[in-house]
Amino acid sequence: MNLQVLATVLLGGVAALDAVPVAQVLLSQPLVTATLLGAVWGQWHVALEVGVVLQILAASTLPVGARTPEDFAVGGVVGTGVALATAARLPYAMAQEAAALLGVFAGLLTATFGVALIKWQRRRNEGLSRWCEAAVRAGDEGAVGGAQRAGVVLAFAVGVGYCAVCLALGVGVLGPLAARQSLRLARAWTLAQPLWLGLGLAQLLLAFVRQRLTRAAVFGAALLVAWILLVMGGR
Amino acid sequence: MGRLVGADLRRMAGRTLLLQATFNYERQQGLGWAWALQPALERLYPDPDERRARLAEHTAYFNTQPTLASLALGAVAALEEQRAAGEGPDSVALARIKSVLGSSLAALGDRLFWFTLRPFAACLGVLIALGGSWWGAVALLVCYNLLHLGVRLLGVGWGYRAGTAVLGEPQRRRFERLTERIAVLGAALVGVTTAYLLAPEGTPRVLVFQAAFAAGLGLGLVGGLRPRPSPTEWALGIGVLCVVATWFR
Repeated sequence: MNLQVLATVLLGGVAALDAVPVAQVLLSQPLVTATLLGAVWGQWHVALEVGVVLQILAASTLPVGARTPEDFAVGGVVGTGVALATAARLPYAMAQEAAALLGVFAGLLTATFGVALIKWQRRRNEGLSRWCEAAVRAGDEGAVGGAQRAGVVLAFAVGVGYCAVCLALGVGVLGPLAARQSLRLARAWTLAQPLWLGLGLAQLLLAFVRQRLTRAAVFGAALLVAWILLVMGGR
Repeated sequence: MGRLVGADLRRMAGRTLLLQATFNYERQQGLGWAWALQPALERLYPDPDERRARLAEHTAYFNTQPTLASLALGAVAALEEQRAAGEGPDSVALARIKSVLGSSLAALGDRLFWFTLRPFAACLGVLIALGGSWWGAVALLVCYNLLHLGVRLLGVGWGYRAGTAVLGEPQRRRFERLTERIAVLGAALVGVTTAYLLAPEGTPRVLVFQAAFAAGLGLGLVGGLRPRPSPTEWALGIGVLCVVATWFR
């Protein structure tokens, strides 16, 4: 279990890097990190349940302009990590649903509070930029590369640290709750999961349709055709 | 004074991956931009004082959509090449060109990559993952990165060859057509995902699931038209309500 926790925390750092500072290849998306964590913990079902909900909610959270978006990179890792660590201790079906609910909560809270940390990091980078320009003008061309490396190291360290703290808090505070109240939490999951999925899909739909009637018609037609095919295929 | 060669453009393309390593509110991508352009400046300005002055100039404010930044980087490298030969724009004109390129590319890139391709890739991944398969994550990564990494790595060469014409009418129209097509496909994909959620494997879900899903969808459509509360705040509120509702049942 210790190695699995270590891998989870390191993945938090990698996700924090991918989110903004390095490459942005979407390795930080909750579905991707949840899939990786599912492999590490050997618990596909719980990992994918949490990953799908967080992914669908994160899909419309965009880093456009200078806006500071919620930190779904670390949030996705923490959410899935809390769910997996809790489910590993309570291997019965109802507790796993309770763990999924608590995992999504942990992920959403981590993403929300992560905004302050991202803002702090960006302010640090302002100082780094000013220092770098002065150093270059003074003759040190290597300062640009040094500042870039410092930015990457800072982002990774903040990601790992924040992930470790949130994971520890999540497992420590929410874990015992899952053990004591698994029935109630599992019931809440059966209600919250479809609500979350509907809410997230609506955001995606709005992003694609953008008040165009033809696109709304395409959505409706695709829904109808897919429904008919699924139901007919099921019979 | 030299001319840029393929190796310089490849080094610049590799460095675009760290364009936002020191992203901040004051200069945004400025420092990452300077670092990505550094190989070109090293080639074009053998005089260290002149090179340092140019490098320091490029650490100033710059911001655009990070994938399409490669195009701007290539175009500006071409301008720097002219400038080093004594023909190109001066510092003020170059800063103005950078600013125009940045905002024009951001307008195109935000719509294509952030508002359309990323949600599309996410929706595709979710649809596959709903069947319990880890291929969903792979589909998400491949779908997004075919275009993202392709443009990011090849865009510098493209921008260098096209110069400031990189954002001419034909290219702009091509990007807009692509965005339009992905958005239409995305609307269809959300329809298929909705159908799958309501009747996975062809068996309709229980009424509670369908009602709750419809309620979430309706809430998202109405709430999504307002900036506040954000979708994440909605999700937290809904989660708390569900726990409270089941706790006292």
